[in-house]
Amino acid sequence: MQYFKRLLDVYIALEALFALSWCFSDAEPGPVAGSQSNGDRFKIEGRAIVPGVKTQDWISTARIQVEGEEYVGFLKTDGSFAVNDVPSGSYVVEIVSPSFRFDPVRVDITSKGKMRARLVNYIKTSEVIRQPYPLQIRSSGPHTYFMKRETWGWTDFLMNPMVMMMVLPLLIIVLLPKVVNTNDPEMRKEMEQSMNMLNPNPELPDVSEFMTKLFSKGSSKSGGGNKGSRSVALKRR
Amino acid sequence: MAWLVVRLAITVSLLYTASAVFEDQVGKFDWRQQFIGKVRFALFDTHSQASKKLLVATDKNVFASLNSRTGDLFWRHVDKTGPEGHIDALLMYGQDAVVVVGNGRLLRSWETTVGGLKWEAVLDTGSFQAAALVGVQDFVKYVAVLKKSAISLHDLSSGSQIWVENLPDSDTVQYQTIYSGGNGLVFVLGFVPNSHIVIVEYKIEDGEIMKKKSVEAAWMSSLENSCAVISSGILLCVDQITQSLYTLPLQSAEQTEMRQIHLQTLDLEVASGFPPVLTSTQPNPAQPPLAEFFLQLSPDHHILLQLKDGLIAPLRDFNPSYLAAFATSGEKTVAAVMSPKNDTACSINLFSADTGRRHLDTTIIYHMDPNGGKPNRLYVHAFLKKDDSVGYRVMVQTEDLTLTFLQQPGRVVWMREEALADVVTMEMVDLPLTGTQAELEGEFGKKADGLLPMVLKRLSSQFILLQAWMAHLWKLFYDARKPRSSVKNEVTIDTLSRDEFNLQKMMVMVTASGKLFGIDSKSGTILWKQYLENIQPNSIFKLIVQRTTAHFPHPPQCTLLIKDKDTGLGSLYVFNPIFGKKSHISVPALPRPVLQTLLLPVIDQDYAKVLLLIDDQYKVTAFPSTKNVLQQLQDTASSIFFYLVDTSQGKLSGFRLRMDLSTELIWEVVIPTEVQKIVAVKGKRANEHVHSQGRVMGDRSVLYKYLNPNLLAVITESTDTHQERSFVGIFLIDGVTGRIVHEAVQRKARGPVHFVHSENWVVYVYWNSKFRRNEFSVLELFEGAELYNSTVFSSLDRPHPPQVLQQSYIFPAPISTLEATLTEKGITSRHLLVGLPSGNILSLPKMFLDPRRPEVVSEQSREENLIPYAPEMPIRTEWFINYNQTVSRVRGIYTAPSGLESTCLVVAYGLDIYQTRVFPSKQFDVLKDDYDYVLISSVLFGLFFATMISKRLAEVKLLNRAWR
Repeated sequence: MQYFKRLLDVYIALEALFALSWCFSDAEPGPVAGSQSNGDRFKIEGRAIVPGVKTQDWISTARIQVEGEEYVGFLKTDGSFAVNDVPSGSYVVEIVSPSFRFDPVRVDITSKGKMRARLVNYIKTSEVIRQPYPLQIRSSGPHTYFMKRETWGWTDFLMNPMVMMMVLPLLIIVLLPKVVNTNDPEMRKEMEQSMNMLNPNPELPDVSEFMTKLFSKGSSKSGGGNKGSRSVALKRR
Repeated sequence: MAWLVVRLAITVSLLYTASAVFEDQVGKFDWRQQFIGKVRFALFDTHSQASKKLLVATDKNVFASLNSRTGDLFWRHVDKTGPEGHIDALLMYGQDAVVVVGNGRLLRSWETTVGGLKWEAVLDTGSFQAAALVGVQDFVKYVAVLKKSAISLHDLSSGSQIWVENLPDSDTVQYQTIYSGGNGLVFVLGFVPNSHIVIVEYKIEDGEIMKKKSVEAAWMSSLENSCAVISSGILLCVDQITQSLYTLPLQSAEQTEMRQIHLQTLDLEVASGFPPVLTSTQPNPAQPPLAEFFLQLSPDHHILLQLKDGLIAPLRDFNPSYLAAFATSGEKTVAAVMSPKNDTACSINLFSADTGRRHLDTTIIYHMDPNGGKPNRLYVHAFLKKDDSVGYRVMVQTEDLTLTFLQQPGRVVWMREEALADVVTMEMVDLPLTGTQAELEGEFGKKADGLLPMVLKRLSSQFILLQAWMAHLWKLFYDARKPRSSVKNEVTIDTLSRDEFNLQKMMVMVTASGKLFGIDSKSGTILWKQYLENIQPNSIFKLIVQRTTAHFPHPPQCTLLIKDKDTGLGSLYVFNPIFGKKSHISVPALPRPVLQTLLLPVIDQDYAKVLLLIDDQYKVTAFPSTKNVLQQLQDTASSIFFYLVDTSQGKLSGFRLRMDLSTELIWEVVIPTEVQKIVAVKGKRANEHVHSQGRVMGDRSVLYKYLNPNLLAVITESTDTHQERSFVGIFLIDGVTGRIVHEAVQRKARGPVHFVHSENWVVYVYWNSKFRRNEFSVLELFEGAELYNSTVFSSLDRPHPPQVLQQSYIFPAPISTLEATLTEKGITSRHLLVGLPSGNILSLPKMFLDPRRPEVVSEQSREENLIPYAPEMPIRTEWFINYNQTVSRVRGIYTAPSGLESTCLVVAYGLDIYQTRVFPSKQFDVLKDDYDYVLISSVLFGLFFATMISKRLAEVKLLNRAWR
């Protein structure tokens, strides 16, 4: 059993090597391949899926292009496709649709007709990230052809942080003196008291305790959980 | 991380340069028209009465479904160009359409309502001969395909092959036709020229040869067209030389000879030199054909005949008649015949096929276009009316590829100009000025008047403007009250006038079939069309605008040079591009092949630019060639240079004009053809303006551009196509001196090369065969930090060679065509328009193709706004200027400046035509579409009222304070 497994490993490694070496020693360019006999012509198969859209709504405008317009295929009513008469070589297969976006896939065909699909990478052309074959090409959504207009609304204007930063202090400066009558002696007293409340005063320990309590409660709430607050409360005691 | 930063930098920089379409601009200034090409097969869906489908297969390898009520496309499938996508046959049964593609290589069945493939079958190789539907017991189940040496039968519902059989003696016998009458047998008909006919009978179930016989037919030279199967399996042939009809029952065992019926006995005669044509009809493939058939005796003589009890009897003679066709609806088969009525119109009538009697009130009058061609195909759609009589509509195809769909009594339901599927070249011509505009222009023209008349003139022109504005307002007001649908103002040739920004122009399009079109660029309406007869199928066209609309009373003038590809002999056609009328100017005869044309800036006394035509003996013909022109040519001859390219010898040569209109050779560059061949040569566009002489660098110095107007870019490809040794070369050659300014080679690369040559740069695209990807390369030429002679450029006096910068990028998509935007003054930044095989047109900022893009970002490069180098060019769908309006097989992009500096007019043509405007630097010279008038006016009014109120309040406050 062990022996068999090893053999399999060796086989896989060999195959990978072969694929890699083949990848570098590419097949002949187009015109030469075109003159080959029909015996070594192959078929690229696959299926295209647009999630959530019925096939009949989009297949009539779509088609499959292999290396530009060198080979062309059409979609069947169930979303599957086949491109016939493709000689061995390496090709970028792309589903072209004016409404949906599909990512291209590179398909390598060996001279014996072995197929392999991998991600298209134009910079590292020999990199192999395998894709399923027969191809399963899933649309990544509709094309975005249009730019968004910059619209203008009152809410946009008001919610602008700059505007808010300007408006709030303005309100405080303008409105506070009007609301609070500074001439009233009682009011002044109250304000002084509130100022003292804010200032840390050693003479008033209960206020500070109140404040810490308040803050600890607030922080524990933001921590999100009854448990936390209880534990804090316990510690306090 | 660094990569991410670069990406971010790119996206940020793009925010300023992107010229994308906004969703509300759809259809505002752009339009697309879709075409199919010359119809080869057309079938009406007779499956149900209400069906509107019309299936067509064309010579452009297009298979489409048209709405027969409107002429619009339901769907369209564009196959590969060339013989591999060629549609050989179209058959239809019920909802399915079976198409044979690529010389019988593929058999496809289409679901016609959805427009998707039902199945596809690959057939064996072999040249295609015929295909037919095969029925058994009133039910069509199979499709048979006949190749040169084999016949195969396929299941109609799944496409699976039932059987394939080799044909006996296929090396001597030419098999051409299949026939099946629904009786369980398939007949294959072949013949040996001038010897005998071979009939092979196959059993449908297993393909077994039931019978094979050969019948003497020494007169036979072709089976197609001259033979047909009629009635219950009787082969009927016609021969011109013996002036006879021949009949032979396919299934009879005893008759071994064809029965001859002399046409004389029927009082008929085939016109000499005309191959007679037989047309039969088989309404249901599972049943034998009808006994009635058409015999065409001469181009305008048809006769309806009937075979009855072995005898042929004429039912009706149609003399004269152009076209005849059968059509079936339900159980009734009718024949429609087109006969000439008068010089400009034809009448189409309906006759019952079995009796030849004319149906009453079925005449359709077809008016022939005086500027068009003759009708050459007739497709009939028959249907049963409520009272069980037969009604019909017809589609007429003419020589100039116009499809006209008519219904009784001659109403044109729709019309398609399929010649536009093959536009070869085009130009955009300014529209003429209106009276008021001309008046205003005239004011600036004359300066000799005194002060007072000038003032008066100014006032009067202002008054005219005011009047026009009032009229415009009134029209707006008047239109606003009408419902929106009726406002659509029709564009006609009489209402054409230039708009204020010169955005609307006349598109003059030349098509391969020899039909010229004048199309309004704003709406896409065809304003005039002119069919030029006797154009060879593969002619080369060159369209030249000799006089624009700017020279009022003289009409604008375009010249079309038509050159035969094989002989090189040319002819000139001169016309008015606005009205499409042929000019009555005498045109020089061109007895010798034309090698080169040259449009000079020299104008004659009628303001027409002079066109020079150089023939193969290097003699020059001038057009127009008045005395004035010849005098001017003599004066300037020493400074007129031109170049010739001989690709077969790899020779580029430069010539100079002599006083007597002969030429002298000045330079010659030979690029050895054993190593590489010249693919293309391009100069710069004559109407291109370059605004800035140089580029301001980061350190505030200026890098001056090398702006040589005589520079030619020559692209070569290696003759060795092996991927290791193939290369693409580019030479920049001065067209006056022949000096090679620069040369570059791209190794391990091959074509097709697309390139643009403009300003001081050349951008070219090639295929990198090592890495299997498309690459862009850009060459930019600079003079350096100092200009040698800043006032005038002379090729003869340039001692310093230019500095050349080059950079290459990966382009992650194949490319169909390449063009650059063009604006009035060249201030706007340039974009490259890249036509992709997917049908999209990408607007790529030239900023990305700048050889000065740094690999390491520095303070200076940031100052210059250079994008850091990235090997891969981005493609964003927002840059597709035609959003989802894809242009199939885009072959060319035409760009023209408009009156607005920000705006460039773009026309992309291929199978479709798409017209739009692009704003490479956004619309900096007009208010944006979404300019918020409400906001700005509300803010203004708000401020105004706020000042009023606060003023009042301040007054009150002051008063109060005064009282205190």
